[in-house]
Amino acid sequence: MTRAKTWRRRLVPYLLIAPAVVYLALFFAYPMYEGLVLAIYDDDALLPVRGSPALGSDEVAKIPQGTALAVLDRQSLEMADDGATDLLTDEWFRVAGTGAGGVAVEGWVPETRVRVREQDTSGAPQAGTVRPRLGQSVDPLTVVHAEPNDRSAVVGRLEQRAPVTISEVAVLEVWFLVQPAADAASAAGWAPSRYLQVFDDGESGRVHRGTAGEFTTAFIERMVDDRFFGPALRTTLLVMALLIPVQFVLALIMALVIHSRIRLSSGFLYAFSLPIGMSDLAAGILFFSIFTGNGLLNSILDGLGIIDGPFAFLTAENTNWIIFAIVLAELWRATSIVMVILVAGLQAIPDETLEAAELFGASYQQRVRHIILPLLRPSIQVALILRTILAFQVFAVVIALSGGDVVTVLANESFRQYFDLRNNNVASAYALFILLLSIASAVFYLRSVRAESEVRAT
Amino acid sequence: MSNTASPGSTAPLIDAETLSGAADTLPPLDSPEVVAMHRRMRRRANRGRIVTYAAAFAIAAWILLPIYFMFSMAFTTQETVRSYPKNILPFIPFSIDTMTFFLESEGVLRGLWNSILVASITLVLSTLISVPAGYAIARYLFRGRDLFRLSVLTVRAFPIVVLSIPLAVLFLRAGVFDSLWSLALMHTALALPTSILVISSVFASVPYELEEAGQVFGATPLQSFRHIIVPLVLPGIAASGLFTFVLSWNEVFAAAVLTIDNRTLPALLLTSLANAPDEFQFAGSFFLMIPSIVFMFFIRRYLFNMWGQVSK
Repeated sequence: MTRAKTWRRRLVPYLLIAPAVVYLALFFAYPMYEGLVLAIYDDDALLPVRGSPALGSDEVAKIPQGTALAVLDRQSLEMADDGATDLLTDEWFRVAGTGAGGVAVEGWVPETRVRVREQDTSGAPQAGTVRPRLGQSVDPLTVVHAEPNDRSAVVGRLEQRAPVTISEVAVLEVWFLVQPAADAASAAGWAPSRYLQVFDDGESGRVHRGTAGEFTTAFIERMVDDRFFGPALRTTLLVMALLIPVQFVLALIMALVIHSRIRLSSGFLYAFSLPIGMSDLAAGILFFSIFTGNGLLNSILDGLGIIDGPFAFLTAENTNWIIFAIVLAELWRATSIVMVILVAGLQAIPDETLEAAELFGASYQQRVRHIILPLLRPSIQVALILRTILAFQVFAVVIALSGGDVVTVLANESFRQYFDLRNNNVASAYALFILLLSIASAVFYLRSVRAESEVRAT
Repeated sequence: MSNTASPGSTAPLIDAETLSGAADTLPPLDSPEVVAMHRRMRRRANRGRIVTYAAAFAIAAWILLPIYFMFSMAFTTQETVRSYPKNILPFIPFSIDTMTFFLESEGVLRGLWNSILVASITLVLSTLISVPAGYAIARYLFRGRDLFRLSVLTVRAFPIVVLSIPLAVLFLRAGVFDSLWSLALMHTALALPTSILVISSVFASVPYELEEAGQVFGATPLQSFRHIIVPLVLPGIAASGLFTFVLSWNEVFAAAVLTIDNRTLPALLLTSLANAPDEFQFAGSFFLMIPSIVFMFFIRRYLFNMWGQVSK
């Protein structure tokens, strides 16, 4: 009884966290994994071709997507009605009529061999006549098969123009016997038309898409070769390098101001923390309103007589100004978060420590330099990691200030690949790259700070 | 001589010996040396205070003036927005012209409504999930607690960009793409880590003894939770909920990736940046800013709960 009760009590916390764990697994861990797969795994890289034209038959080879093919033969086969598009079909009719020699014949003929004369209300063929075959050397009779398939047994022959009733229509998909064009020695195999692109000559084609996946670096290569990749990476790192030092100095000043408990400090805290809840898009538009041609900055500069007429800050010729505006917008928006982390760190420093330092005659600068900063180290480390990771994600600010073409960043490229180019795989490759950079910078900060404290200890 | 050491001198001049005898050798409080030292310290403190106030006002201006300018652009005539050079700040004429233009533009009202819906669903979902989890972290010591906390911390730091695209692909596959619900699910995943950590710190700030006391006086655990703990933690949970709302309201990358017709306000603004006139953008960003300006007032006390505890 009591044991059961303890057990139940032990289970309580797990039950309490279960929804969160399940949710994060479902909407966080699983998509993360999927993202990784998208970036390095090509779902339709390889097309398996089969020994005979049937889905169940043995695979004889796998041909990579895009390979040029020689088409050796074709045959139509019954297919599942799966709504697939991009395929070549043949129609066969099940017909009944009087065959050559006056015997009744019932079986399948290709749609091309029958001229439909009667249809029911829904348009389904009901009756028709057998088309004549032209030319002298060909057999004038039309062959009737046991199944809707060229290779099935012949059950009879029909005279040309013989009337037939049509009882059934079968839609068949064409299969092709293909072989890589460059390698005549390789095995030939059958594949359905939906995965192939057969050219007009009927003798050559290429693999349109495959059904078997393969790990590939193709998406990553395409990302690296993309003409926006270099500029995006450079701008991201440049913005980060310009932003983070200034941001930390400003955040430290803000934190010290808040911590000094001056009058109105609650009001100042409100003002200082306002940007925490601001969207990056709003911040971007805010600074767009300042830097744009007829914006605030030009109005002020013009009013002061510094410039004569508006200066176009945010144009392709002035990318440096765009980057400057991006850095300012990010400084405006994201410094407050650093401030809050630093204030929380400051609150953890005992007042006695600072009072003692003051008593011993340390000036304010000395106290900041020798007491506050060292004691803030863990907070600074956390804030650095957070800020750096956020800096890799700068996105809407850049679009608002540059339109996303003149100056671009990594997150923007991921968005462009997804949104404009509809290339999920390369978009995921960008996302993966951002993730790796984030992890690398976090590890770097953790390592470098630990190393310093070890040096200190010895 | 040690106790007359001027505050500016570099090396501390007190040693153990003088300290032990300090009480006997201290000069009386009204002695000229002590008065002079006090005056010096006060003067320095005053100078320090002036510098602090100057910095405070300068930084407040740096943060508030752009907001003010943006708001005056959102509430003026369209001609003023396009005019150049503009009058400097306080002299921009007030008008609801830009605002009506924005609100009457196609898709705006629907976008606003979508944003409200998504943010509300996110708020409810993430609060429902994170309250029990936060309580568990704050109140129970169980195997895996540190691992859970650490994974939640790690999850919070992960880039949104990394999550959005695979989620979009998954939602597309599942046939729930371009739905407000799927966007709210994604926003909940983004908000959950912060929410869990904040709520656990809110619970941790209420001593467990209070709960025990209730039980000593005959309340069942559930009763004492309901009548003692809930009233105490409610403001904190509300603050975390408001923060979640703002997060979802602001979020633009996932919103732009996951929706096409059901745009939320930020997604609508982002995708119309290239061809919308300036006044449309300015009025739009006014709406983007409003929730955070209102809510930040109520949650500023909890900010340190939210971000401070990461460093512990």
